[in-house]
Amino acid sequence: MAQEIIDKKTLDHLAELSRIQLDSDEEQKILKDLQEILGYFDLLKEINTDNIEPLAGGTIEQNVFREEDVKSEGKNLTDQFLEKEDNYLKIPPVFE
Amino acid sequence: MNFTIKNFHKGLINREFKASEVVEDYYQTIEEKDQEIGAYLSLNKIDAISQAKKVDADLNDKKEIDILAGVPLAIKDNILIEDQPATAASNILKHYRASYDATVIKKLKKVDAVFLGKTNLDEFAMGSSTETSAFKKTRNPHDFERVPGGSSGGSAAAVAADLCVAALGSDTGGSIRQPANFCGVVGLKPTYGAVSRHGLIAMASSLDQIGPITKTVEDAEILFSAIKGKDSLDATTVNLANKNSKLKIEDLTIGLPKEYFEEGGLSKEVAEAMDEVINNFKKAGFKIKEISLPHTKYAVACYYIIMPAEASTNLARYDGLRYGQKSKIKNQKSKLLDAYVDFRGEGFGDEVKRRIILGTFVLSSGYYDAYYAKAQKVRRLIKEDFEKVFQDVDVILTPVTPTTAFKIGEKITDPLSMYLSDIFTIPVNLAGLPAISIPINLTAKSSNLKANLPIGFQLIGKPFCEEEILNIGKNYEQFFRNN
Repeated sequence: MAQEIIDKKTLDHLAELSRIQLDSDEEQKILKDLQEILGYFDLLKEINTDNIEPLAGGTIEQNVFREEDVKSEGKNLTDQFLEKEDNYLKIPPVFE
Repeated sequence: MNFTIKNFHKGLINREFKASEVVEDYYQTIEEKDQEIGAYLSLNKIDAISQAKKVDADLNDKKEIDILAGVPLAIKDNILIEDQPATAASNILKHYRASYDATVIKKLKKVDAVFLGKTNLDEFAMGSSTETSAFKKTRNPHDFERVPGGSSGGSAAAVAADLCVAALGSDTGGSIRQPANFCGVVGLKPTYGAVSRHGLIAMASSLDQIGPITKTVEDAEILFSAIKGKDSLDATTVNLANKNSKLKIEDLTIGLPKEYFEEGGLSKEVAEAMDEVINNFKKAGFKIKEISLPHTKYAVACYYIIMPAEASTNLARYDGLRYGQKSKIKNQKSKLLDAYVDFRGEGFGDEVKRRIILGTFVLSSGYYDAYYAKAQKVRRLIKEDFEKVFQDVDVILTPVTPTTAFKIGEKITDPLSMYLSDIFTIPVNLAGLPAISIPINLTAKSSNLKANLPIGFQLIGKPFCEEEILNIGKNYEQFFRNN
């Protein structure tokens, strides 16, 4: 295997950024898989991409504008909330 | 039964049967066969039958009906139908019910199509075998030991096993074409922007497209015509003028990209099948030309940077609080962040976690330029490869996958080998092009192939030239149905 690209510390940080809890088995498996996948990405290093504009996607690269109007869709949207008060989503405290 | 859209419609208007009878028959077949196949995640019997009865009543009243009226369809479970489940095969959406119709569903409701139920997929459409579904395995109707492909495996299996007349899937890197190919049915991935993505549970927004999975190319054309078009709710959609291209075979040149045949790791049976297809096209009078798409070998790496980056962003909205979560917050004293981490840790499966973390990595400070920005540049090179060859050829012919359907369990523990199985379908999404996968009729008199499992080929078209690949496909189908 090539050099280690992700170590456990980086993975912990990424899991935290991703808001995902990983148990230690999952951690080991993901670490191994990511090492392999990122190693495969090294292939891209052989292409010279100087002066190439990044392509963000889409077939037609143009901006589209429309009038800002409120369309109320989703009658049962708030029924899906775990907890609500009146028509607001009730969440646990953000700070202690 | 084994209805196509075309012959269902014909039988219906000739009053050979009622739409509601056929719908009931499909539910009967589903009850008998789907236990084993596992194509559906949920059924919508009451609405489907009442919808079919409406079509029957319209016919009794001598009203004109649309070609899709009463047609029993299966819908991939990442496409929203109001008040129906839309789980994306994930535990985090297990109890969610859609609060609105996707634009494609709105369009199909307008022409009185019938939705039998929602079909299985890889969790959030992340996979190539439907094995990452949180709820069940789907089996390939041609061999129950094998995968139906993915991520639209449920839709492809439902069409192949005649558990519906036709289906909708979604395709981000091959998720319509690859399962269609494994199950021996037709799958069309439209040009990016041809079909609205509003109401499709997003995976990678710059790559996703909804498209039909059908029994014939003609049916794919009918379903595509019904769902395409500009939508104010998806800013990337465009209005397609009907080009009305006349198919003159002697004028058309088909390109064969040498990289797909030389470096793609084709199995012997797929290579032989492609030889036969190429010969058939020659016999039918098409000009064949070898072309080169030099950046092909970078497509999988490029895709597996861009797609997880977009997916990690799109899936950030699943916080466990807003989309029908039933389990309570474990510790009433816990803070919001703890709740997020708990719900997402439990709600997402392995492949989804892997891609979210991979996507977060390639977007994170210090790695962004080396991975994400680099991949976006390579994406342009891949798109330019296609633009160049389309100056010389009208369509491109390739295999759909390097092998036929693989065994359940064969690749699920090795993500990279699973990713590499999409090598021929991924470049199409990166370049935003339309492509169709069409099965080879292995029972045709002219065929010398001895394959046990379905094999097909892929036709890639110029942007918004669906009509061209559909016409060539129809031509192939008609020619070799009778020969």
